[in-house]
Amino acid sequence: MGDYRVTRRELLRQGSLLTAAGLLAPAALLEACGNTSSSPTTTGGTPRAGGSLTWALEQDPTYLAPFGPIPTSNHWGNELIYDSLLQWDKNLTIQPALAESYTTPDNLTYIFKLRQGVKFHNGNELTGDDVKYSFDLIRNPPPPGSVSSLGQVPAIASVDVVDKYTVRFTMKKPDASMLGFLAWGRYSGIAPVDMYKQINPVTQGIGTGPMKLVEYIPNDHLSFTRFADYWNKPLPYLDQILMKVLPDEQARVAALRSGAVDGATLSADSARVLASDRSLVVLKGLTAAFREIQFTIKPGENKPWADKRVRQAISHAINRQDIIDKVYAGDGKYSGFIPPGYGKYPIADADLVSNYLKFDLSKAKQLMSDAGFSNGFPMTMLSIAAPADMTQAAEVVKQHLQQIKIDVSIQPQDIGTFAKNNGNGTFDCDLTSRGMRGDPNGFVAEFVSNARLWWPGYQVPSTIAELISKGVATPQPDQRYPIYTQLQQALMDEMLEIPLVAVYKYQVVNRRMHNMYVAFTDFNTGLKQAWVS
Amino acid sequence: MTGYVGRRLLQLGPTLFGMSVVIFLMVRLMPGDVVDVLTGGDVSITPEQRDAIKRSLGLDQPLPVQYVHWIFGMVTGDPGFSLRSHEPVYTILGRALPITVELVVMAIVISVLIGIPLGVASATRANSAGDFGARVGGLMGLSMPSFWLATLILLFTSLVFQWVPAVSYEPFLKDPLTNLSQMILPALSISVFVIAIVMRMTRATMLEVLRQDYVRTARAKGGTRRSVTYRHALRNALIPVVTVVGFQVGTLMSGAAIVEVIFGLPGVGYTLIQAIFGRDYTLVETTTMLLATIFVVLNLLVDLAYVVIDPRIKVQ
Repeated sequence: MGDYRVTRRELLRQGSLLTAAGLLAPAALLEACGNTSSSPTTTGGTPRAGGSLTWALEQDPTYLAPFGPIPTSNHWGNELIYDSLLQWDKNLTIQPALAESYTTPDNLTYIFKLRQGVKFHNGNELTGDDVKYSFDLIRNPPPPGSVSSLGQVPAIASVDVVDKYTVRFTMKKPDASMLGFLAWGRYSGIAPVDMYKQINPVTQGIGTGPMKLVEYIPNDHLSFTRFADYWNKPLPYLDQILMKVLPDEQARVAALRSGAVDGATLSADSARVLASDRSLVVLKGLTAAFREIQFTIKPGENKPWADKRVRQAISHAINRQDIIDKVYAGDGKYSGFIPPGYGKYPIADADLVSNYLKFDLSKAKQLMSDAGFSNGFPMTMLSIAAPADMTQAAEVVKQHLQQIKIDVSIQPQDIGTFAKNNGNGTFDCDLTSRGMRGDPNGFVAEFVSNARLWWPGYQVPSTIAELISKGVATPQPDQRYPIYTQLQQALMDEMLEIPLVAVYKYQVVNRRMHNMYVAFTDFNTGLKQAWVS
Repeated sequence: MTGYVGRRLLQLGPTLFGMSVVIFLMVRLMPGDVVDVLTGGDVSITPEQRDAIKRSLGLDQPLPVQYVHWIFGMVTGDPGFSLRSHEPVYTILGRALPITVELVVMAIVISVLIGIPLGVASATRANSAGDFGARVGGLMGLSMPSFWLATLILLFTSLVFQWVPAVSYEPFLKDPLTNLSQMILPALSISVFVIAIVMRMTRATMLEVLRQDYVRTARAKGGTRRSVTYRHALRNALIPVVTVVGFQVGTLMSGAAIVEVIFGLPGVGYTLIQAIFGRDYTLVETTTMLLATIFVVLNLLVDLAYVVIDPRIKVQ
């Protein structure tokens, strides 16, 4: 590991000192993803302690249990309760959290030094036993957690408590996704030993986070109160946070207008309508949820898109800017397989626009002709019925593909049906959305793991699998960037999935709310540091 | 009378049984199952892992066995847990049902308080401008979907008064004023349809009753317009109106589902919609069965009340 290990440890040490000194400087302590495009925040003034705010959630968390959760909304509900060993700042730079430093004596071992004196909401002190307990459950999630979360969990072989404040993770194989996984926090919250026996983790929670849960009434609200013993002082500033579940967008708009809630996530259209309201501020930022088209290729079916040239033709026939203009009112960006905003890993926008994802109808027609499909073919495309933009994007793609005589029949499906077809590989092609991952490997690993179900009739080039293995086994970011660039180039040559566009997320907040930002992770992490005037 | 009541009660058993089978099968025949939702459509899940999830939820049993478990559980007071949140289903429904019941009761009260006087006024001033206005209003009430009206009301109050109901639900017994302020707009949204029905029904039956001989006799005896209208005509005209109101409980329940979502009220309808999207079989089946049972029992009560009110039913 050489110099890199020393540098990383030193940086983490510096970070912990800064934090311990109460300086919340956004110093780049350890770069996992590099700088991302940060969204505007509600800033200005000196943070003021006290007060309360109400945040509207568009979906109920379903449950608060921290281990093996599936709904993203689960983390909206519990991110203020549980902390992880590391954390991302808003630029996706890894910062210390419950661990103040770590070392990697070899490429199969991580040793974390825990911050001393950290208290859980029940008053107990955080120790290595709590970390071991949590990771035992992360790797074997009890209900309502699901084993499908394990696909995101790094290859941890064992977790050993070295002493009260030291924990050693032994990996099954070198796995560079470990740090990002911890910083992401979605699956790596730390709970006290035997928490699942002491409380009902569905509606209750004991963590080390900035806010203590007062009550969770499913489908209605969650209320939190300030945790006075929080380790990361002076946070939190707020005395109380109420999260109200308001699934109806117009209800959130009305609640924002009336001041009944201080902030909410809205569609681009609603955010634009509220932009003229002087009591409100519109925040905007990219998230990892880019849109894409996926294909299946089964043996013996001889579908036209089994020919790489047809898939390339489809990609070149799609005018992504047209999708951005028509569906997202001009707000969006071209996306490769690693979405824009994910540090230094994405392919540069100019390269996507003018080369890899270039809208080039004559080239598309030529490719169709070369593949023997100049007369086109019919194709069924599934889309997720809600949110509506997925089906709207599919409609625009349908118009584009008519130019190369592909007759697309769109079938919108509710999420349950879509999930079944997606999971079983029972679709020709579909238009869907990706989500956040803790490490760039998470965006590409499926080109190996999904091959069994989605492309059993197609030989995915071995270089792709080799690059995926190499990327996940390489810890140094500087060495990883070229691997993932090469990998994305190879994937955009194959086009087994066709990336389309990355879209913006809008959050509208009351002008009295400060320090809030649109998190790239699709969480509401800004609430941890928000304050009200 | 006893025979009629006995026959209707005997019909209740097979009706509920038939409904439970239909509900169970319809829920299980929905495309996509709870395992797909729990795994988020993850392709990397192995068949063994899927089987393990099914086993843990009891979904590996044959359907008839699952059906018997569910029915037995419902009857004994434990239909099981939500497959998604692992909360007991009766805990979830115990939280949600009072909200929906309050909403429906409030909507009925509003419908009766507004619909009947409007119907009476319309009938006693038949073909006047007021009558015409009430009839057009009634037609509009029948045509406006409650979810549209609910959204419109919310946007109106937020824009004009900068006010919307308190966002966090407060039970009536804890804070009556806040509770009523939260429930009045959703109740109004779902009651407009029923107000229109009650108004039209009251108008129609009043017009018929006002032409009856005994009304003419009451007038001939020198009764005031008010006493003839309310003491003689309305009392008789109300019989079919009461029946119609009883039958509208189902409509109100279904209207409540969407309106609960719009106003963020965690009632039964909201719970059911969430459960359907999540393929939460136990919760969907039990909630639907509960709603269907309420509907059937109310219909039975209306029928029985009708017998009490109108003795001619017994002869038939």
